[in-house]
Amino acid sequence: MSVTAPPARFTADPGATLSPHSYLDVAYEDKLALWEEVKADDRFADYLYGCYECGICVAACPSAKFYDFSPRKIAQAAAREDVELIYEQMNDDVWNCSQCFSCNRCPRENSPGGLITLLREVAVRNGLGTAKEALEGYGRVVYKIMTTGTQISPDMLQPDAFPDWGPDVEKTSDNLELWRRALPPETLHTTEMSWQVSNETLIELYLIWLHSDVMDMIAEADEGLHMIILDVMEETLEDAGYEV
Amino acid sequence: MPSDRVVVIGAGPAGLEAARLAAELGSPVTLVEKMGVAGGMPVHSDYAALTHHFRSASDAMGEMVGAVTSNELIEMRVGTEVTSVEGELGDFAVTLTSDGAEESISAGAIILATGFKHFDPGRETQQYQYYELPDVITIAEAEKMLKDENFVTPSTGKPPERVAFIQCVGSRDRQIGNEYCSKVCCGISSKQAIEIREMVPDARVFIFYIDMRMYGYWENEIYWPAQEQHKVNYVKGIITEILPKNGRLVVRGEDTTMGRPMEVPMDMVILAVGMEPSAGTTAMSGILNLPTNKYGFVETAHDILDTVTTTVPGIFATGAATGPADLDDSISSAGAAAAKAVALLRSVAVPV
Repeated sequence: MSVTAPPARFTADPGATLSPHSYLDVAYEDKLALWEEVKADDRFADYLYGCYECGICVAACPSAKFYDFSPRKIAQAAAREDVELIYEQMNDDVWNCSQCFSCNRCPRENSPGGLITLLREVAVRNGLGTAKEALEGYGRVVYKIMTTGTQISPDMLQPDAFPDWGPDVEKTSDNLELWRRALPPETLHTTEMSWQVSNETLIELYLIWLHSDVMDMIAEADEGLHMIILDVMEETLEDAGYEV
Repeated sequence: MPSDRVVVIGAGPAGLEAARLAAELGSPVTLVEKMGVAGGMPVHSDYAALTHHFRSASDAMGEMVGAVTSNELIEMRVGTEVTSVEGELGDFAVTLTSDGAEESISAGAIILATGFKHFDPGRETQQYQYYELPDVITIAEAEKMLKDENFVTPSTGKPPERVAFIQCVGSRDRQIGNEYCSKVCCGISSKQAIEIREMVPDARVFIFYIDMRMYGYWENEIYWPAQEQHKVNYVKGIITEILPKNGRLVVRGEDTTMGRPMEVPMDMVILAVGMEPSAGTTAMSGILNLPTNKYGFVETAHDILDTVTTTVPGIFATGAATGPADLDDSISSAGAAAAKAVALLRSVAVPV
């Protein structure tokens, strides 16, 4: 009796993963290298222990309610080191997570959300096309966070951009400054940022982003955005006497 | 003064069995019980039927208490606490306190059988809003309702149409600190599910679980009958939260087999709470100088070949004082503790 070779899709599986191959144009070794990069992160050991498959993370997850997304499957794929499945998730599932960390209720103290943070970082750092695509719409949010230290700012409240914010959004955005000044805390009398961030804090943030690989990741995801942000940062830092 | 007396602390199933067997082997025994009545958790928590034979708990405990009270070698001291212990193997001085009166007795060996307490889901984390929602109860409370043969939704007094069990509450949870399995809750929940289906035939009963741990014969005597004869629904996926909605409870979880989140209405939710060391186990391990593990259960000195010998010569521990135990475990280890205690006393040839 002769042994018939299995279909190509299931052969040459050096990692003996449980999942069939997908993304056939990407070599297994390249997928493996990405996974090794995730595992090499210092945070990894705190984010994954074992998994009961109890589903508490899925039930707690707001994204799982609306998308075909499961933090349990993220943890399971990682626990099994299923390189093929992890690569699929890195190109798709991880961008369905809102990073709210409700999944941290895990009875084994896993953090599927934390794993996703690492998977996303590796995806961005390595310039995966899907990561660039996923982040395309977030240029303005990233710009706000990176330059002002706050996220959504009041002047982003525009009826055309956020129709789901209700019928009063136009009225509010027309008189934005007035509305903001009506708020009791003075630190909220802002329109270009969510609240007043001190110069010292901004400088600290800029230095952290420059000295960690955050700016490199931005460059990998969006070169133009990287240049604009760097300009703003350099100006502030040079005014404060830092050489960039 | 040297003594061949065995003092057994705690008159639950393990203590009763240890006392009975030590006496049957010829040793005089003092059985000390803090509560006013012997029988331990099955009696004080009003257990209905025992897992897995469905035998009435009060009948079974009545038989155990009867075997002890009818034995002339055993002196039972209820409403009494052990407040200090001094001395060593063959010559312990045990102080008993009852109604403020102290008395010292001599003992050659001591058997600790102070058991467990049910995990309190409201403790620290307000799990599942247990303190707030009247229709969220524990398996301990369900036992009493089943014993009274009046199984109703607490808030309405009417028989429930839909009942959910949630497994592993307070067990297998690193965040709570109890990483161990409490061993009995899967069996008890399944047993209760059968009883509920018999008592309220129109009720649908769901068991939400991580793993069903149906050891040995529990598998064929409870688990499959629950599914095949009593149509209990087992769903692999634990409940994350319970929300009150339109006078009912909505349980949120993941149906992991189907791979999707679920929100299901229920009339009652029964939390399968696990075991923690009882107050007596905590107090006595201190008084007897017995090391405890990180969960507070008494650590026995040896490996799996000796489950009852402690690090202190002449002191043995049995039942759920040493960790989660079902009734079979408790009775078996009680017998071992009694036999080892009596054998040790004879081997050191204590003069009587």
